Amino acid sequence: MAKKVGITTTVPVEIIYAAGWVPVDLNNIFIAGQQPGVAVEKAEQAGFPRNICGWIKGLYTTLLEQPGIETVIAVTQGDCSNTHALMETWQVAGIKVIPFAFPYDRDYDLLKLQMEKLMAYFGTGWEQVNRWKNRLDQVRKKAHLIDRLTWEGEAISGEINHLALIGCSDFNGDPDAYERYLDSLIVGANLTAKTAQPRRVRLGYAGVPPIVTDFYQYCEAYGAKIVYNEVQRQFAMPFAEPDIVEQYRRYTYPYPVFRRLEDINREIACRRIDGLVHYTQSFCFRQIEDIILRKQVKVPVLTLEGDRPGRLDARSRMRLDAFLDMLAA
Amino acid sequence: MLYIGLDLGSRYVKAVFMAKDKVVEDRTYETLSFYRDFGRRVNNELIIDHQRLNWPPFKGLVSTGYGRNLLKVAGAKVVPELRAHAQGALFQTGLQDFTLLDLGGQDSKVVKVKDGRMVDFRTNDKCAASSGRYLENMAAVLGITLAELSECFEEPVELTATCAVFGESELIGQIIAGYTWQQLAAGVNQSIVKRVVPMAGELISPVVVFTGGVARNRAVGRLLREALGVEVIVPVYPQLNGAIGCAVLAAADR
Repeated sequence: MAKKVGITTTVPVEIIYAAGWVPVDLNNIFIAGQQPGVAVEKAEQAGFPRNICGWIKGLYTTLLEQPGIETVIAVTQGDCSNTHALMETWQVAGIKVIPFAFPYDRDYDLLKLQMEKLMAYFGTGWEQVNRWKNRLDQVRKKAHLIDRLTWEGEAISGEINHLALIGCSDFNGDPDAYERYLDSLIVGANLTAKTAQPRRVRLGYAGVPPIVTDFYQYCEAYGAKIVYNEVQRQFAMPFAEPDIVEQYRRYTYPYPVFRRLEDINREIACRRIDGLVHYTQSFCFRQIEDIILRKQVKVPVLTLEGDRPGRLDARSRMRLDAFLDMLAA
Repeated sequence: MLYIGLDLGSRYVKAVFMAKDKVVEDRTYETLSFYRDFGRRVNNELIIDHQRLNWPPFKGLVSTGYGRNLLKVAGAKVVPELRAHAQGALFQTGLQDFTLLDLGGQDSKVVKVKDGRMVDFRTNDKCAASSGRYLENMAAVLGITLAELSECFEEPVELTATCAVFGESELIGQIIAGYTWQQLAAGVNQSIVKRVVPMAGELISPVVVFTGGVARNRAVGRLLREALGVEVIVPVYPQLNGAIGCAVLAAADR
């Protein structure tokens, strides 16, 4: 059986597949697990502070309780700096940690070097990696079609869009099965949805995926349609880019907020978005970037904060109600 | 014929009875006793039975507030909280362009109203500092009433902790340092203002309409005026503003 390697966020997953390993995005198995709230509590019992991101704590427990994963690729630059301490606590628990850094200035050579180091660790080369890139791009194309069906035809719900795109970080460890899952979503798309419904408020979602579980259902129950999931879309590598190094340079998530803003503003215009929800995790540095995002986004922005896994709290619901009410007026 | 507006707040439930565009009566209930005395559980939902409240006959009932997602009021139409507050301020002031600042029991809300419509808003997130609950705690630590607290604005002691809980220990430290209770009370009022000014400043207008229970604190109003440098208006019924908005919407819905 192929060996599994955990990842703390999206990395050039082609390298892992090319080496015959199976990537496991720890975020996905944490939040989709039976009791994500308990995972956070266990990390706190182990000594993680209360005022630290819930994702970090959830990832800590999830990896230690996951059978068959003894190695993890931790993104040390381009994601949260708490990852540094997270990887050190894992090392103490006997996990083998491989650091990977997206260079802040998007330097091509540095990124290429990072990828080559990862390839050397796993014992694979450019030829196999590029072969896997071609294969994964075929699957990604299906995810892009689902995205298009979401915003253009309103034929796919915002939540299905979120799930379909987010899974492209590791293709659930089986790209063939993942492709079949995406195919089933395309077949099941409700192509008449747009004409059958009155004009709904078109919402965009920016920021890391929500730790709360009912955001999409809540918004759609209140008559909004979520037509854009910023970071999830990035996980599916939305730019048709033949050079794999360039592909991970154009990927916006790990780089300065200005790259993300260009992408967000372009999609707001293209998808005719009425308002943007910027989700930030409590205690995250991206709450500071929110200052810039609010100034530079062209439509009304609601900043929503989440801390622990679970349902939206009363205050967040009140804020969403007001935002949707304002946009609908 | 009466229209009722009901604001289910975190500390108090406010009911306003309106007829011919005038508030004819209002009733305020403590939130917990309101739910205990007038609510009953049906199919895992808390339902408020207004007949047990002994209200006069009415033609329309609109409710809003913190609790509106949690319980149902028989016969009521539910509206989003900020719409109710904006409507209340429009009605009470007759203005069309202003920034509404509502400081309630646990909430701080800022709503920008332009041409009679809500165009943007901010609210506090997971923190109850700068709310009425904070003032209640601080008055209790100082051993004074809310009325006494609301008179103090001169020579405020600097309080740096904006947390409603840690603020208490800082205040105790300042008591030991020998400041007068008036200076300490002024410091408490000033700390509220410091906390809301960045939020209000983002959506500022030449006129700020100040509502919510905290607007009854005159010192906070005065310090706000100084800090924001704009006209600050406190309408006749600051604490009933959301309920009034509901009653106005109930009447408009007829």
